[in-house]
Amino acid sequence: MTIDHPLRLGLGVVALIVFGVVYALLQRRATSHDLAYSNIAFFEHAAKPRTWIPRALQALWLVAFAALVLGVGGPHLRLMLPAHDGSVFICIDTSGSMAATDVFPTRAEASKAAARAFVSESPSGTKIGIISFAGAAGVVVPLSADHQAVLSGLDEIPPPNGATAIGDALALAARMLPRNGHRVVVLITDGVNNTGADPMQAAQRLGTQHIPVYTVGIGTENGGLIPGTNEEATIDEDALRDYAQASGGAYARVENATELRDALSTLGRTTSLQPKRIDASLQFAIAGAVGMVLAFLAGLGLGRYP
Amino acid sequence: MTIRDALLRARRRPRHFGAGSPTVYRGDGYEFVELRAYVPGDDVRRIDWASTARSGELQTRVVLEDVTLTLAAILDVSPSMGVGRKRPLLAAAREALTDWFGAATAEDRCIRIAGGSITPAALQRGSRRAVALRDDAGAFDLTKTLRTAYAALPRGTALLAISDWYDLDASVDRELAGLGARFDCTALIARDPWYEQLPLAGIVRLRGAEGGTLRGYIGARERAAYLAAVRAREASLLRRFEAANWRTGLLREADGAASLAAAFGLRS
Repeated sequence: MTIDHPLRLGLGVVALIVFGVVYALLQRRATSHDLAYSNIAFFEHAAKPRTWIPRALQALWLVAFAALVLGVGGPHLRLMLPAHDGSVFICIDTSGSMAATDVFPTRAEASKAAARAFVSESPSGTKIGIISFAGAAGVVVPLSADHQAVLSGLDEIPPPNGATAIGDALALAARMLPRNGHRVVVLITDGVNNTGADPMQAAQRLGTQHIPVYTVGIGTENGGLIPGTNEEATIDEDALRDYAQASGGAYARVENATELRDALSTLGRTTSLQPKRIDASLQFAIAGAVGMVLAFLAGLGLGRYP
Repeated sequence: MTIRDALLRARRRPRHFGAGSPTVYRGDGYEFVELRAYVPGDDVRRIDWASTARSGELQTRVVLEDVTLTLAAILDVSPSMGVGRKRPLLAAAREALTDWFGAATAEDRCIRIAGGSITPAALQRGSRRAVALRDDAGAFDLTKTLRTAYAALPRGTALLAISDWYDLDASVDRELAGLGARFDCTALIARDPWYEQLPLAGIVRLRGAEGGTLRGYIGARERAAYLAAVRAREASLLRRFEAANWRTGLLREADGAASLAAAFGLRS
């Protein structure tokens, strides 16, 4: 939180202290009108008065006044808010290793299911596109705010086959994303880049354009054999982590379909959030005023003995 | 009947717990009680010849024994007795104390136990000086005062103790029983000024007469709980004193003298 008018805030704090002192004095003065009782310990045991109520009322006064003072100071909050103009490209690996069944039913199918979860969790208005990549990268669904169309497009992803051109996919995403706005790339892969452009350079270029890449490594720790071959599907986790770091994104490793779906759901909710600086003066002032009115009315309602 | 009569009638009553009703000790004295038919063994000097002549049968004058009473009093002068609805409970307590010592004759001995000790200076004859005795000499210690009374007062003393008994914890019950066996004890329990209704609602701040404050919310639930606790406490105190063979009464803020009389079953 930042404050536009520190001087006003300082004056407000002084006013708050004066208010507190006056309140305490008034309370002390009011004491002379209260009841003198023989034995306070017995009264407390007998009546069990609710001591939290006056404390809550005092706290309400304090919080309300503090909110009002903050409002006068011109507070600005930095909040993560949904970017309704956000654009996300999901790059899904369709290399031959994605046919491995160590993730049920196959890595490829689990990736599609997770991508669906991502689309479902994304706020409406967020543009989503799908890129599939194996030996080369291609756009399956161009950026679209029609999430239903994107979900349908997921069925068009080709079956697993071929090499892994992560760099090509990232470069294609960079070209297809708009020049402005909140932009994100989600990369789902199980393999090591073995053809096409250098993924690290592509990730760094995305980073300079303020486009974070969220990489998701899919596959169990023991890996799995690529069907029809004797090759074992492995993940270059260090490389995926580096791509993410170079672009300002994050890396996650998932070993089963549930983890993958959860990871993508979370990404769907969070990748479309972007930090925004909000002037909260009016909100604080209104909250403070409402709080003070409530505290006053509550004090009136909970008044003293007749 | 006066408080003194009541004390005399109660004298020599059995002291063991669960004893029956008090009996009049009849003996050689001047205080007339009744005429009754002559019983062999009666002192012939007590035969009332006028009544005998009227009735045609021997009639004996029954008189009370002439005795000198020792009247002692303990008055709780702690700040907790300084509260009340319209006036301090202590004012009512002083009224009761005035009547207590007022019941003494010129031959009776009056003792006011002030503070935690009894000294020759505290032995007073006559009610006025005894009541006026300075009672703010140091903090009032109820338990210590009761122990002092037990140690210092002569057996058979009529002892009146007036307090709100907030300091009467369970450990004092043995002392109460000891006092009840040794003396003719009367406890006046100061009734809570808000026994009928607690005049508090909403957020209130209480000041303790003996220190401390309390700030809290009092609603219907709290008022009901308070009244129940006050009544339970009073009933418990009455039971404890009666179990210790004490005569009991309630000191009401409005009228201390009437409260004392009521403890003896009298009307003021």
